[in-house]
Amino acid sequence: MPQLIDRLGTAKDPWVTLGAEDVLPDSGAMIVPLERLAEALDAGLELGVHLPNDTDPAGLKPYFDRLSLISVGFPSFSDGRGFSIGHCLREFGFQGRLRATGPVISDQFDYLLACGFDEVSLPDSIAERQPLEHWAATPGRISLGYQRGLAGRGSILDARRAASYAAGRG
Amino acid sequence: MAKEFNPVVVTANDLVEGDSVFLGAFGWVRDIAAARVALSEGEAKVLETAGNEGENGNLVVGPYLIEVSVTNGQPVPVLRREQIRASGLPTMPFGLDVPVERRAA
Amino acid sequence: MYRYDEFDHRFVNERVAEFRDQVERRLTGALNEAEFKPLRLMNGLYLQLHAYMLRVAVPYGTLDSRQMRMLAHIAETWDKGYGHFTTRQNIQFNWPRLKDVPDILEALASVEMHAIQTSGNCIRNITSDPYSGVAPEEIEDPRITAEMLRQWSSLHPEFTYLGRKFKFAVTGSEHDRAAIKVHDIGIQIIRNEAGEVGYRVLVGGGLGRTPMIGKELRAFLPKADLLPYVEAALRVYNLHGRRDNKYKARIKILVHETGIDEFRAQVEHEFATMDRAAVTAPEGEMERIAAYFAPPELATKPPAPVEFERMQKLDPDFAQWVERNTYAHRVPGYAAATISLKPIGGAPGDATAEQMRVMADLAETYSVDAMRVTHEQNIVLPHVAIGDLYKLYRGLASIGLDMPNKGLVTDIIACPGLDYCALATARSIPVAQAISNRFADNKRQREIGPLSIKISGCINACGHHHIGHIGILGLDKAGVESYQITLGGESTEDARLGDRTGPGFGYDEVPGVVEKIIDTYLDLREGQRETFFQTYRRVGMEPFKEALYATAD
Repeated sequence: MPQLIDRLGTAKDPWVTLGAEDVLPDSGAMIVPLERLAEALDAGLELGVHLPNDTDPAGLKPYFDRLSLISVGFPSFSDGRGFSIGHCLREFGFQGRLRATGPVISDQFDYLLACGFDEVSLPDSIAERQPLEHWAATPGRISLGYQRGLAGRGSILDARRAASYAAGRG
Repeated sequence: MAKEFNPVVVTANDLVEGDSVFLGAFGWVRDIAAARVALSEGEAKVLETAGNEGENGNLVVGPYLIEVSVTNGQPVPVLRREQIRASGLPTMPFGLDVPVERRAA
Repeated sequence: MYRYDEFDHRFVNERVAEFRDQVERRLTGALNEAEFKPLRLMNGLYLQLHAYMLRVAVPYGTLDSRQMRMLAHIAETWDKGYGHFTTRQNIQFNWPRLKDVPDILEALASVEMHAIQTSGNCIRNITSDPYSGVAPEEIEDPRITAEMLRQWSSLHPEFTYLGRKFKFAVTGSEHDRAAIKVHDIGIQIIRNEAGEVGYRVLVGGGLGRTPMIGKELRAFLPKADLLPYVEAALRVYNLHGRRDNKYKARIKILVHETGIDEFRAQVEHEFATMDRAAVTAPEGEMERIAAYFAPPELATKPPAPVEFERMQKLDPDFAQWVERNTYAHRVPGYAAATISLKPIGGAPGDATAEQMRVMADLAETYSVDAMRVTHEQNIVLPHVAIGDLYKLYRGLASIGLDMPNKGLVTDIIACPGLDYCALATARSIPVAQAISNRFADNKRQREIGPLSIKISGCINACGHHHIGHIGILGLDKAGVESYQITLGGESTEDARLGDRTGPGFGYDEVPGVVEKIIDTYLDLREGQRETFFQTYRRVGMEPFKEALYATAD
């Protein structure tokens, strides 16, 4: 069972991922493949969709108010398209849960958070080699970066400006 | 006629030191002369598996097979790149071994 | 030069601690090599033929004596006593051990240096003009812009796992000494008609397997828009750049396949719709950085000191060194001096710890403690009083770095090649050494005039052979080293990629081939002053092809 990780720690995944061939249920929290999104819209589900990382995120804009979760695919940890996809989804105004799905490594956790992601769904094989302690230890390992990001922490440039203002030099 | 098999050895880089090493009879060695030479497809597969164990055991990085020719019992890599690698050094004097031509200050 | 504040210090220190942890997890196996590799690459740590290689960042090539002394200390303590200055203004150490690297990074952090993002599929060192703050025609010191970009690009959460490496270069003058036309994004500081200072932005230049000259992305970008604009460009690249093929993953391929107009439209659209305020540096930040690059206070000095003139007459080698290796400063009485790291028969760009220390002392004494690494693998001392040039020269002579060969045939650029590099297909350093020895005579070098030879040991072109007047590319043909020659490359605002002469030559043939090319040039040139590049552009490839390939009698 894939491991779900967010800022608070590890959790049992409350979402079920629907396979391409599975029958669509009429209730529950389901992450559907992109090609079944239209079909699932009226099914009375708490709805999530999985977006492969070679798909234009703008295509999901019309469905934001129907989607509680968007899962963005990371086929490998070295394929960083998902970071921009996450950023774009937030810029487009998506306010639901944003999930990174794939074999990402704990050292990427901060970057994912800064790009607007809330949680990570890891395959089992990775989860075994990267115990939760590593994931928990990463956020804030670099206390401030030079970019503001979307995690609400501000940047070195902001802190620097605040410090010089406070010192009366601003 | 069966395709002739070229003898191979396994080489990798030492995880900590970074230098090139070879799989010998009892572990990883720096001198290719002490490397285990595979003379058949089957032996090569055994070597390859043993090489991968070295990576899984965090001793070495990136094990792979290289072709060697065996002369007087000594394996010599076929490719120039691997010859240079096996020597452990650049082909020319480097660093502090390069004479500095000083002119009086 | 830029000095770290408390935030910058904390950033690199935390980065060192992070890498220490990553190394430990690698040694225990919590990280396997596939996972560790991108992490170590982002800290500049390669695994080469004989050892690890650590590439230390020298932001836009600028360093002071304290830092150069630390590089010497690192060379002695954790390496084999020397370092190699690179074509991207960085320095490489060829023999560190993995478990020593966190200590090396800690030592670097203590002098405001690091190895962040000098490798890997991320934004690399921002390079610039070695005559920043010196060139008379400069509109603005490009290192201010380079420092803004450096901070913006450091551990950028969205752009740390790009499809491929990404390289920026910035020039503050129209005469481009930063080779901006062959960078992923090249930035030229310009004035618009209203006299406002802003940027001309080029995109999609690069060398390697498919060399391309950059295309104009934006004719004029107001300064305040710099960070949001480059962020928009990177976002478009990150989303749409190819990921299927490593050799087609640079932005130049995306621009080429999309077309510059469509690519520009996508960037401008992102720029128009993004939240720019979130990316734009807070008010005052650019001014704060600019203050670090204010011109140094240079005491008034005579433009033509008597002693200086006298020594030139007495010492013809010094006169040649002045002619070749010094550059007229915008402040009268001063010059920028190039320390050639190309002694005859040496490895281009290498310096021993002792040489580093002496250079540090000389910079401290004669150049207000300033030094720059150039992308031609030399060192520039930017602010030397003309009256001090002779003492500087004698100091360089004591460590064998007084070659008066800047821009001449023995000022060769060479990548490490098959003697060091795991990617190489042929040796490059010994080829450079053989050519250097062949043309050792100062008089002959002067006779030949400006001629840049650039040698790459593989198709990745780290030796920048495409933009050499004579480019040499070392390949492997059925197990034998084969060197392809290109002619007429150029790296400045007249950037052009060299033209292939034809079939390649063997390792032993190369010095003779170079000699034939030069003899052909000397035969054909119109007067002493026509340079090799000018002659080539006038007469074309034919005479050279004939000289090289005409059947022997």
